[in-house]
Amino acid sequence: MRRYLRWLSYAALVALTAIYVAPFIWMALTSFKTSFESTRVPPTWLPEEFTTHSYETLSRPASQTPVFRWFMNSMVAGIGHTILVVVTASMAAYPLARMEFRGKRVLFGLIIATLFIPPIIFLVPNYLIVDGLGWIDTLLAVAVPGAAGAFGVFFMRQFFVSLPRELEEAALIDGANHFQIFTRVILPLSKPALATLAVLSFLTNWNDFLWPLSVLIDAQNLTLPPGLTRLQGAYVTDYSVIMGGAVVASIPVLALFVLAQRYVVEGVARTGLKG
Amino acid sequence: MASGEATQGRPIADTRRKLGGRERSLGVGRFTPYAFIAPYLVLFVAFVLYPGVSALWVSLHDWDYLLPNKPFVGLENFIELFTAGSPTGGFFWQSMQATAQFTLYSVPPLVVLPLLVALLLNRRFRGRNFFRAVYFAPYVLGVVVVGMLWRYLLDPNIGVVNYYLERLGFPNDIPWTNGLPWAWIALTGMTVWWTLGFNTAIYLAGLQGINRDLYDAGKVDGATSWQLFRYVTLPGLRPVFVFVITVTLLASANMFGQSYITTQGGPGNETRTAIMYIYEEGIVNFRMGKAAAMSTVLGLFLAVVGILNFLFFNREVD
Amino acid sequence: MGDDRRPQARPLSRRDFLVSTGAAGAGLLLTSCLGRSPETRTGTGGSSGAASTTYEGPSVTLDYWNGFTGGDGPFMEKLVERFSTEHDNIDIKMNTLEWGDYYTKVPQAVSTGRGPDVGVMHIDTLATNAARNVILPLDDVAQTLGLAESDFAPTVWQAGIYNGSRYGIPLDVHPLGFYYNKKVMEQAGLDPDAPPTNDDEYRQALEEMEAKGIQGYWMSPFVFTGAFVFQSLLWQFGGELYSSDATQATFNSEAGVSALTWMVDIVKSGYSPKNVGQDADSVAFQNNKNAFIWTGIWMINAYKEVPELEWGVAELPQIGDQRAAWAGSHNLVIMNQRDQDENKLQAAKVFINWLTEHSLEWAEGGQVPALADVRDDPKFQDLEHQSIFAREIDYVRFPPPVPGIADPQATLATAVNEAVLLKEEPQAALDAAATKADELLRENAEKYGG
Repeated sequence: MRRYLRWLSYAALVALTAIYVAPFIWMALTSFKTSFESTRVPPTWLPEEFTTHSYETLSRPASQTPVFRWFMNSMVAGIGHTILVVVTASMAAYPLARMEFRGKRVLFGLIIATLFIPPIIFLVPNYLIVDGLGWIDTLLAVAVPGAAGAFGVFFMRQFFVSLPRELEEAALIDGANHFQIFTRVILPLSKPALATLAVLSFLTNWNDFLWPLSVLIDAQNLTLPPGLTRLQGAYVTDYSVIMGGAVVASIPVLALFVLAQRYVVEGVARTGLKG
Repeated sequence: MASGEATQGRPIADTRRKLGGRERSLGVGRFTPYAFIAPYLVLFVAFVLYPGVSALWVSLHDWDYLLPNKPFVGLENFIELFTAGSPTGGFFWQSMQATAQFTLYSVPPLVVLPLLVALLLNRRFRGRNFFRAVYFAPYVLGVVVVGMLWRYLLDPNIGVVNYYLERLGFPNDIPWTNGLPWAWIALTGMTVWWTLGFNTAIYLAGLQGINRDLYDAGKVDGATSWQLFRYVTLPGLRPVFVFVITVTLLASANMFGQSYITTQGGPGNETRTAIMYIYEEGIVNFRMGKAAAMSTVLGLFLAVVGILNFLFFNREVD
Repeated sequence: MGDDRRPQARPLSRRDFLVSTGAAGAGLLLTSCLGRSPETRTGTGGSSGAASTTYEGPSVTLDYWNGFTGGDGPFMEKLVERFSTEHDNIDIKMNTLEWGDYYTKVPQAVSTGRGPDVGVMHIDTLATNAARNVILPLDDVAQTLGLAESDFAPTVWQAGIYNGSRYGIPLDVHPLGFYYNKKVMEQAGLDPDAPPTNDDEYRQALEEMEAKGIQGYWMSPFVFTGAFVFQSLLWQFGGELYSSDATQATFNSEAGVSALTWMVDIVKSGYSPKNVGQDADSVAFQNNKNAFIWTGIWMINAYKEVPELEWGVAELPQIGDQRAAWAGSHNLVIMNQRDQDENKLQAAKVFINWLTEHSLEWAEGGQVPALADVRDDPKFQDLEHQSIFAREIDYVRFPPPVPGIADPQATLATAVNEAVLLKEEPQAALDAAATKADELLRENAEKYGG
């Protein structure tokens, strides 16, 4: 009976996997079809006529939908954002975890409180601020404001608080100042947490949709999410191109995911445990 | 909270005292903490504090960023939302209803199904991590890719889903993207597909955090699987439940991308969520004052829901 | 065999509509500058002549944005290329966005100072963009080009004026037309070449179809096509959308109620299914389940591509006391750049002038020139469908040039939606919408300074 159940549950998992994998296969295959075949009824799985025309269309230099450019923009914004988050959040989390100072409780409380404010409230005012800074239609607008979120600080603080103090105390006795302690003791110990924060921040920024949609204008300056919606509009009847764009947007992230899977999935899981 | 509160808690200043108050430049200068926090604080003030306050300020005006005049209107934007028959009010509450509907439809499956999958995965077997990764994968793709993909698969005319439904004997022209109730089913199904893996991973970690001894003790006492589940697993998962429900609730209440990309808020405005309407009013139609007011109302709603959620779960502690 | 579904363009969304007004784009071309041979010039003192219509300054690049992302796009691209080759010192960089995005992004871009120089806008958005300082007045351009009301239908000319200034030069007009499915008509025993032209004939045809079990006129509750149908009928019954000072909505007048009631009766009488889905009327038309559809000239190319669809198009039947038809119009505009470059401004005027002059080429892309001379041209007469739309020129109507007019129009769409879906009685639905519309009109008047 046990055995039977085991096989059954395994079968269920496999069936579920099919539901997850099939759409991706469909997406990838469609990107190699002709535009006619991509909207044909009845639909076909394997392209009857294999063509890379969709990718050629996407890589045309004068294109109104420069997907590869969008990819680069997303990269630049994502990496910039991640560096900003990791640096500022860990630096801010350190005194919050290890030092006493005036205003600490208020500040920390304030930061935590903002975790509960729905992001939509910030949409319009941040738009106005970014406009005032002259950042509209630039990657700065995409990379910087998001780094003000409280999650990074909260996450790193939780982590720092869990580190044993002995090494720090030893370093202190040896005459190190806090900056040195931070960089030579704390940070090296925090690599897993920093890695998780980095991956999560990058992913969040990469997939950010509503905000870049609001602040980016020119086709050359878009990141992938708003860009792909323009692609969808521009190629309304050519699904091979639309799916091609989706493939270009997906492959790198999936690759990153495969490599960094541990950090991503377990990082997420750990956040859940700490609640 | 799990591990972590063990050895720290004593601030470093204490250490200094322990060292006999020797005058060493221990680096907790007056400014050290502030120096560390400063960079983040600049960002925080500029993009969280200031806009938070400014949102309220904007909501009290008729604010169009292109017009020089932004007349003060007091609470008019808010009052309008609660006035029957007012233009914005009507659309706003319709969009709130859409949000509520979506939340109602999507939260239960997203709380229950991932748990079931996590239970299936909660064993040591080959490929366990593979499955977990596969189910998680869509989450890293972001809503646009997922939305576009499903928009295509669910197209009433050329989509594969309708094609296979027809092969199975069902009607072949279900309007997944522009008919009711199909649009809701589509949005919910798509969202479950997208984020099931995320919740599963969390549940899985939670399950693995439950002390095995409890299970062993239970089995020794002759408990059935169901009893073990009910009296060991579920209570052990309590904090994880809270997290999953909270996160899922918030995510559903903030839904934007799926509606925007897959149904365009249609048919008509039936699936236009609150976030989508606020975006339309504020960014597309330049009525920023009203958008700010609506965001505030939505925010208050979510705060109330969050508090209720918190109270409900903490109440059960006894 | 087996599957007789046609490969169809996906159901049009709201966005697509705005795309396809440019797409499959047939539009009515109403500039006189067409066929600009001196003889046809309607006289007025187009004196400043050559000096203002050529550009002699240093090389400039003009950013030209429009929403022609669909079938129209390539035709506009060709025109732009030609212009660039003919003008050494002016380079045009064209950028296309979907119309929905366009109206959000253009003001954003203009406000950052990095906006385009020239663009295309729908006539009912001119007032809003003018009031928000997105576009500049074009009175001198019109004067230079020798354009006068007599060169256009009065309604098109008037609809582009806001606060006493002209803000757009019409490029084309795209009206609603009456499409009929010949096969379905035959099935009901109707003459496929004699579509109904008035209310009696229309109802007669519908009854005959109903007797044969055919639902002949699917009534859409959505903006496409329901709201357009409503507005056409409102004007036919002698009503107006808004009071002349645009402070009050008047679409809930008797005429409006008659119009909406006529539409609801179609549903109640069984000539249309209830709850017609978004674009389902068009899909049914293509699948030979629906005989009549009132939709835009932009559907011509879409229907042409459906194999085995036998269809014709006629002027809208006159259901009311007079003829009237809803229409849209693309207008050329000049954007309000923060640092206005005199050279670019002059180049932009040259470009606009050139485009209107070459509207015949634009027409070849599937437009209808309204200039009498060009309409009489045998080449145009050969365009079977477009020439029919051309007949509606004299009675096309537009919403008034009031800033923010889209807001009260949205309330109207809701009223039509609720009535056609039989959720509200026409009078009640229109009254509720009018109340909201009045509120919006008042707010907008305050905001934009009336």
